[in-house]
Amino acid sequence: MALIMVNNLVKDYKINVRRKGILGAVQGLLMPEYKIKRAVDNISFEIEKGDMVGFIGPNGAGKSTTIKMLSGILSPSSGAISVGALSPYKDRKKNASRIGAVFGQRTQLWWDLPAIDTFELLKYIYKIPEKRYKENMNTFNSMLGLNEFISQPVRQLSLGQRMRADIAASLIHDPEIVFFDEPTIGLDVVAKEKIREFIKCVNKEKNITMLFTTHDMLDIEKTCKRMIIIDMGVIIYDGTADHIKNQYGKNRTLVVEFNQLYRDIELPSGVQLADQQGNKKWLRFNKEEVQVSGLITELTSKYGIHDLTIKEPEIESIIREIYEGGINIGEEIPGDCKKVVSEQYSVPH
Amino acid sequence: MRKYLEIAKKSFQNNIVYRIDYFAGVINTLLMIFVNIAIWKAIYEEEEVLGGVQFKVVMTYIILGFLMQSIFMMEEYLIESKITSGLISSDLLKPLSFRLNIFSYNIGTLAFRIIMQLTPALIVSIVLFKLLPPFNLQSGILFCISAILGYLVLYSINFIVWLSSFWFYWTFSIITIKDAVISIMSGALFPLWFLPEWLHTFTKLTPFESIYFVPISIYLGLLPYDEIIFGIVKQVIWLALLMIAGHVVWKMATKKLVVQGG
Amino acid sequence: MQQNNSFSSMMALFFRFSKLNLKSALEYKFDRFFLAFAVFCREMVSIIVMYLILTRLIRIKGWEMNEMFFLYSFLFLSYSLFIFLFTGIRDFDNMVYSGELDRYLIRPLGLMYQIVASRVDYCATIGHGVVGIILFMKTATNVGIDWSFKNITYYIAALVGGAIIQASLFMISSCFSFWAVKTVNLRNLIFFNSRRFAGYPISFYPGIIQKMLIFIVPFAFVSYFPAQFFLRKPDLSMFWSGYLYMTPVVGVIMFVVVYRFWLFGLKHYSSTGNSMF
Repeated sequence: MALIMVNNLVKDYKINVRRKGILGAVQGLLMPEYKIKRAVDNISFEIEKGDMVGFIGPNGAGKSTTIKMLSGILSPSSGAISVGALSPYKDRKKNASRIGAVFGQRTQLWWDLPAIDTFELLKYIYKIPEKRYKENMNTFNSMLGLNEFISQPVRQLSLGQRMRADIAASLIHDPEIVFFDEPTIGLDVVAKEKIREFIKCVNKEKNITMLFTTHDMLDIEKTCKRMIIIDMGVIIYDGTADHIKNQYGKNRTLVVEFNQLYRDIELPSGVQLADQQGNKKWLRFNKEEVQVSGLITELTSKYGIHDLTIKEPEIESIIREIYEGGINIGEEIPGDCKKVVSEQYSVPH
Repeated sequence: MRKYLEIAKKSFQNNIVYRIDYFAGVINTLLMIFVNIAIWKAIYEEEEVLGGVQFKVVMTYIILGFLMQSIFMMEEYLIESKITSGLISSDLLKPLSFRLNIFSYNIGTLAFRIIMQLTPALIVSIVLFKLLPPFNLQSGILFCISAILGYLVLYSINFIVWLSSFWFYWTFSIITIKDAVISIMSGALFPLWFLPEWLHTFTKLTPFESIYFVPISIYLGLLPYDEIIFGIVKQVIWLALLMIAGHVVWKMATKKLVVQGG
Repeated sequence: MQQNNSFSSMMALFFRFSKLNLKSALEYKFDRFFLAFAVFCREMVSIIVMYLILTRLIRIKGWEMNEMFFLYSFLFLSYSLFIFLFTGIRDFDNMVYSGELDRYLIRPLGLMYQIVASRVDYCATIGHGVVGIILFMKTATNVGIDWSFKNITYYIAALVGGAIIQASLFMISSCFSFWAVKTVNLRNLIFFNSRRFAGYPISFYPGIIQKMLIFIVPFAFVSYFPAQFFLRKPDLSMFWSGYLYMTPVVGVIMFVVVYRFWLFGLKHYSSTGNSMF
């Protein structure tokens, strides 16, 4: 039996239709009119204990809504969720002691106090035995270097430091499952790398099940074996991250800033002009068909170039590729491999 | 000039957006008047005349005081928000006067309050609370002049207090204390002749009585002609002094900004 | 796993929260002190006005100055107590908008407990509290009250009851945050204006206002009736004498009713969340 089972999960939001004018406002108060927006549309998946799953999709795809349902903040509109045989919403408190969560955009640390004070408080909130608490703190210290900044008020920390402390705070009570909601948002490359390393390491050593949402492809590539792509509330891919990397992520974009404005430039075959703006041009190519070094050499020999950057594919473009059917999705079409969840496991309503 | 008119117009429109605030403002004024009248009624039950003044005069004083307060409310945290958000630096670079910008914004709010809030509150006050008309036409006109001066004196005081944000950053505390002092010393809540003799003499030495007490006294016809003129001259003098003080503080503030780079 | 949340461990945790709140406040010692002082000044205005008016008169409608101050002290002390215990209820709408509520929902503790425990506004507590204490010290010994055990018990019960009544009033408006309705202004209007009425004996007001202060926004039970329990001024005859003992009852009943409404709102919240605004 899988640790997390999600079966035909649906979440509808009722959106209040606002009417104009004072009369409309009064009318809206007495007879509200709603529009239904389906944020999560009939999704199903399972996650085994100790797995690390990347949950990826553009903004508003339904990632956060799913995480909120898995953690018990929101109730599902229909469908079933079972987290370790509990319903997160109905057994909120019981479920809460087994999960941890990091919301990248908000901190759970006390803003004006050193992070250590929050850790101490969490020790009492989760009733962590003193010995266990010390052991965990030591582990996090050595892995995340918390000691460097743990006694400074949180408001003085850099975003990267704060995020490290936040992640440690979500793990301090030895949760079985941890949800990371955009843990790398806004961080620079080095800080991101540190956090990815740590997450990977904790997953391996403590066998903690992790669900990781992001819209940064690299986060997933570097940490997760499995990835689920969600768009407009629907799972459009559930399979290995490698598969996506190899099949979908072959497109690269070279952003070239020329010294002067070239109206037309000669491009080698396989390279397309995706966009241009002033002296800048965005050139898209398949990395297996076109060699980057060759392309750059060719361009520099012909034109005056001021600056060059290579962009990895973004989730939006991968999703576009999936829709366009450019690449073989194989057997891993949503729904097909997840019919295994039998009714007996789903929590009755 | 046109630019500043646009700013005032924008602030007028901003006020319309917050509909609940608007209703809250009107109801708040009327309720305050109502509470205070009830209390003064209870006070006058004991005696017909207090300090040589009849109940209906005091009642008019109270109503006018609250009506004036409701339109004299200003955007107290405008400068603070510019400083805490860091917008101040770019605002100072714009080709328009920062001080006139702030003033225009407040004038827009004032216009909104006069048209949208004072009008309904005034009608209710006349119908329900029997607000007396001005003592005579002359005191009515002089009241208007004096009230405008009162607004400007209050604005000048406020402006200096708002500028303290350049040094203290957050200004909630200092603004709250300023409001407390003004509400007692300016005669906004009750006629100053109820103050003990020494304190009343003291308020005469401050700019505060120029804000509410002088205009309302003129309206009620409580002052002889020469004292009216004296009162208005005093308002003008205070206004001039406060504007000079405001100018000096402004220069210090901008200098501080330049030195520390915001 | 069974969570063992005994009363004593809950209290211990409550004090941990309070300690952190205090530590936070002390991070900005001068600022917070100044803020508390500002609140004190603001609240003193109404007291000074009352004092100035009353020095000219012996009494209003049979009430002497000290007696009126005694009545007023209930308002300040119970508000101070309310803020000390329930700042979280006052700031609840903010918790919804900032997502703090979501964080509380994924902790193995009761939601209301966390809301109440997580915040204390020491500045408002002290600002109001000091005004209340000054008034109480000035009047407690010279309005003819025998501070017997029974009276002290009543006094404390009335303060706690008054604090709970005010908490319930704030909680009503906080319920609307579950429906994503911003009610801060409306709440301030209803709460602080009614509170203004309650600074004076309610017998000063027309009947409709008296009824409102008894049955709708029951501030009469925060200040007037508790004060009358001790003072027994003649205008008490206008009201049913049973009201004198009702403050804690009104507080508890209101809280229970409002809490049910609040739970209803919470249920609504978990079906919509705050992600939609």
